[in-house]
Amino acid sequence: VPAPTRYLNARVLRNEDARLLTGRAPFVDDVQLPGMLHVAFVRSEYAHARLTNVDVSAARQRPGVVAVYTAADLGDYDTPAPLLVPPPPIKDLAFNPCTHRALVTDKVRYVGEPIAMIVAESRYIAEDAIRDVIVEVEPLDAVVDLEAALQNASVRVHEQLPSNVAAHVVQGKGDYAAARARADVIVTRRFLYDRGASAAIENRAIVASWDPQAEELTIWDTTQAPIPIRNGLAARLGLSPAQVRVVAPFVGGGFGPKIMMFYPEEMILPWASIRLARPIKWTEDRQENFYATTQERGQVHEAEMALTRDGKILGVRDHFLFDTGAYDPYGLTIPINTQCTLLGPYDIANYDSQFTAVFTNKPIVTPVRGAGRQHGVFVSERLLDLAAKELGIDRVDIRKRNLIGPDRFPVNHEIMFQDSAPLIYDSGNYLPTLERAAEMIGFDDFPVEQAAGRAGGTHVGIGICCYVEGTGIGPYEGARVTVEPSGSIRVATGVGTQGQGHYTVFAQIVADVLGVEVTAVKVTTGDTREFGWGTGTFASRGAVVAGNACHAAATSVRLKILSLAASLLNVSQDVLELADGRVFVRDSPERAFTLAELAGRANPLRGAVRPGTEPGLESTAYFGPDRGSTASGVHAIKVDVDPETAMVKILRYVVVHDCGTIINPLLVEGQIHGGVAHGIGNAFYEQLVYDEQGQLLNASFMDYLLPTATDVPPIETDHRETPSPFNPVGLKGVGEAGCIPTGAVFAQALEDALSDYGIEITEIPMSPNALFDLISAAAKPVPRAPEPPSPESRS
Amino acid sequence: MNLNGTYTFNGPRSKVWDLLQDPEILAKALPGTERLARTGNDRYEGVMKVSVGPVTAAKFDIVVLLGDKVEPERFTMQIDGKGAVGYTKGSASIALADHGDGTEMTYSSSVQVGGKIAAVGQRLLESVGRMMMKQALEALQRELKARLQTGA
Repeated sequence: VPAPTRYLNARVLRNEDARLLTGRAPFVDDVQLPGMLHVAFVRSEYAHARLTNVDVSAARQRPGVVAVYTAADLGDYDTPAPLLVPPPPIKDLAFNPCTHRALVTDKVRYVGEPIAMIVAESRYIAEDAIRDVIVEVEPLDAVVDLEAALQNASVRVHEQLPSNVAAHVVQGKGDYAAARARADVIVTRRFLYDRGASAAIENRAIVASWDPQAEELTIWDTTQAPIPIRNGLAARLGLSPAQVRVVAPFVGGGFGPKIMMFYPEEMILPWASIRLARPIKWTEDRQENFYATTQERGQVHEAEMALTRDGKILGVRDHFLFDTGAYDPYGLTIPINTQCTLLGPYDIANYDSQFTAVFTNKPIVTPVRGAGRQHGVFVSERLLDLAAKELGIDRVDIRKRNLIGPDRFPVNHEIMFQDSAPLIYDSGNYLPTLERAAEMIGFDDFPVEQAAGRAGGTHVGIGICCYVEGTGIGPYEGARVTVEPSGSIRVATGVGTQGQGHYTVFAQIVADVLGVEVTAVKVTTGDTREFGWGTGTFASRGAVVAGNACHAAATSVRLKILSLAASLLNVSQDVLELADGRVFVRDSPERAFTLAELAGRANPLRGAVRPGTEPGLESTAYFGPDRGSTASGVHAIKVDVDPETAMVKILRYVVVHDCGTIINPLLVEGQIHGGVAHGIGNAFYEQLVYDEQGQLLNASFMDYLLPTATDVPPIETDHRETPSPFNPVGLKGVGEAGCIPTGAVFAQALEDALSDYGIEITEIPMSPNALFDLISAAAKPVPRAPEPPSPESRS
Repeated sequence: MNLNGTYTFNGPRSKVWDLLQDPEILAKALPGTERLARTGNDRYEGVMKVSVGPVTAAKFDIVVLLGDKVEPERFTMQIDGKGAVGYTKGSASIALADHGDGTEMTYSSSVQVGGKIAAVGQRLLESVGRMMMKQALEALQRELKARLQTGA
């Protein structure tokens, strides 16, 4: 029964904003409980060292300290964290799972790894007691550089393994060697991408509270996955999941690291709360966040692309190293995303991709917004740019010649995606997106503008890059939709919310199905007591998977409404309509019930509920897609570079995006804006710098640069809608899109702006310092008249 | 971080040597040294306060070991520091040579730091190191002058 569309694709203001903007939205650090204790962690100052002794006796004596725990105090509870994502079934895949423990037992493997937990009456006392703890270590050489880590097997992060290899995976299709043999041109380069922090505005925080009378454990946690946290902690602690409630209230940004589970702090606070029978709180401080929260992006690629002389891609080979940090609890999601996303929107018949995941003495690596996708896009887009230059083909044109046509879907890429399902593109229409972005940035007329600028002494350049984003993967999410006695609608789902606007988009979907105002739909997310089945917020899947579950549950409630109303009004269901919170007979609207009246009728105090029916107007439903849906888009950028200072001003940023059916353009644009800001940070500012001993040298916002409001330009967006055939609402995810091609498009624009210097950008971040070095190393520009655009090279 | 250089003292080599082996003088000369005492043969222990950028007046418990002594020509130092904001590990070698009426000291040192002080102070560490070295050498020069004047 299709409902008339009112809210879908409407610019609806967010239901949650009133609470957020007036400071009434609860965050974990707002939780204050009587008798609550506070925690500080003693963390390793060494990246790699054997732990010989931890003396906590003086700390235990400090007034106000309630308990101090080391690994030795954990007893049976000292077991490794689970492997969160086992690798997909790929032939000949080698994977060495090494997960962390709550507290270090034998040796420390990264700076910041927790060694002891201090529980005290206040955070101040706990912090003071850190210096009472004497940690004795035997320092070891640190494994920092990826290539050196593989060359020197005598220094190993995990000594039970023969080397620092965490995994080796080969995937591909076709026959790259044969494609290479018949290529007219082969472009080969080495590409680097370095580590950054996710830098969510809210650090991690946990409150654990054991009620010894009710025998119930309540945990407030900034996690993106409250339900798996509940299930896993219950199992670790020997409790029933029903005894554990995990609440992820409002969370100030997730970006991936908050899906990691279980963080050491997450494992040990609940355990200590039960032991002490007191509530315990820990809030990560900003400096801890630089060590104790997972990071991403270190990869080294040796890649090549084989093409015909008219710019058709015959094949790609890409062999790369992936820095997984000290442990690998998140499996291979990131490098598999890299492998899969490299193919982009292009028709690449022959592909040879291999990666080696490498253990290093650096913080654990788990997905951060984009999660390896930007690396794949960077490699393929850079190779296309280089090939275009070599072949004398226009940048947009070479892309057009390789796009997958709209008639080719679904496209099976024959390799395995991160969700253990084959990489299949559901739908897409890439050419109009590219054409629209080229039009918006003024690609065709730009050479004239560039030449005029160059004559006037400015260096302006543009970049334009395509990408796809695998989103909305399974296994499933669920939702319960209830018509309350007041007639307002309550929706509960298991995914956590970190600022995406779930309270609005889920409400829009449900409001349309039930014919109510969007503000009449109250959404609850991330509280296992409200809804106990689901996985979490990751892989740009919240709107797709939970959104479709909300749609399914609302549709089921709609059927109950129609069925009950039809029997009460003694009419056929076909003549009924739902609108304005009422159900009524289409041709005589006065014959009606409000949803409030109907909810009362559905839950009678006398009489009987007939067999085969249920009381109330409520339904729970689930959505589990066999595979994800593939969003796509094109980014275009215009930059002004000062070759003397290497400072870059972003003049314009254009995103044309296709995330299938749009629920709310305002929120899609918001996700894109945030993503682009994140991407600009990755491309130009953000880099975690480690010395050869594995010491992080810039663990503060004084030295780790985030883009600020003055660095991020207004972002111009346009949308294309190619609905996904893989889910009923036609949705595709959009959470990561903004930051995926940013590095690639930035690099292309810099090269374009500085074409008279002949520089080549093969690494991200390309900081002002790195760019300055490139410009300095380049031959001085020879003054010459810019070449006019050649009309025949553009289609 | 490496600090290397030469410095000329306006006094004879034997006086400079004595100065460099005297914990009381070193405690006065090294900026931020609260205490430095001989606790064994060629072993000194003490407390030093260092400010590097946002890390202000961080206290380090330090242990200094002297070695390879060839009087009055050269010696080496091992310096280990431990504090609430991290650790330092340093080694230095110092050589003295006659230079006209004065003494030329050649020094080379390497210092490793870890923990918070590395994380937030690294950028400034080298300039702070140079500044402390300069202040220390100038203080030693003043002390030397005073000793020569009083004939100590």
